[in-house]
Amino acid sequence: MTPNRHGSAVIEFPNELEIVTTREFDAPIALVFDVLTKPEHVSNWFAPFACELTECSIDLRVGGSYHMVFVTEDGTECSFRGTYLEIEPPTRIVQTWLFEGWPDAHAVESVDLHETDGVTTLTVTLAFRDRAGRDHMTRSDGQEDSFNKLEDYVASLLEQRAAASG
Amino acid sequence: MPISAYYCGVARSSTTSDVFNAIAEAHRREILDALIPGEKAVGAIVKDLSMSQPQVSKHLRVLSEVGLVSCRPDGRRRLYRLEPARLRPMREWLGKYEQELNERLDRMDDYLKDLQEQGERQ
Repeated sequence: MTPNRHGSAVIEFPNELEIVTTREFDAPIALVFDVLTKPEHVSNWFAPFACELTECSIDLRVGGSYHMVFVTEDGTECSFRGTYLEIEPPTRIVQTWLFEGWPDAHAVESVDLHETDGVTTLTVTLAFRDRAGRDHMTRSDGQEDSFNKLEDYVASLLEQRAAASG
Repeated sequence: MPISAYYCGVARSSTTSDVFNAIAEAHRREILDALIPGEKAVGAIVKDLSMSQPQVSKHLRVLSEVGLVSCRPDGRRRLYRLEPARLRPMREWLGKYEQELNERLDRMDDYLKDLQEQGERQ
């Protein structure tokens, strides 16, 4: 019986330009790599049930590009494009990341895979090129110095306040 | 395929984002901290923190505009107090943000399990 890993992703904000997500899967590394890179697999897990994946093209070679579009419940279209910079099956993919709503927010997403005893660890690093790109996240997502710090701060304020009033 | 695509798919209210912007500034967080023990006049906040009165007043104005602090007159002074309930939508939003990524990776996890079970049966 393998452990249920639902909800176990670790999301970290090591500095003002990067977001790092780590998650383990009970699957061999080659299968995880395929599921991440083949459109016939991606379409099975990528979009939430309420969203529709309307475009999913992947030209998996250095210099090749991907394009993905999904439509959210309220009809908002989210389009993402990028070019593959590094491909080393089954351990590493580096790709540029461009959300069409934010044309000046350039980022590079690195995906690293590592297998130990049948468990594959996925590490995704989204790195913005500069503060201009990251400022989109500030406006859209409220990230400034560190999201974690912000969350800790909010939690501590609420706790202190609850303790004071209780 | 970019795992991080979810960042842009999260809907949020402009009010929540205003609260984000308001507390993104370190001095404004210090002012909120200073108000945790209870309501205070501008002068008391100035004394607690190493900030000038015009600076504190400017930040209090931003915090008031998004409802994170409220104030009431007390004689010639105005007393400011923290309104922590205004932080709650933000905490909920942060939870949703993490939840969306977790759910995507959980779907991938389930799909990997299905594939492996199918592989064993064949």
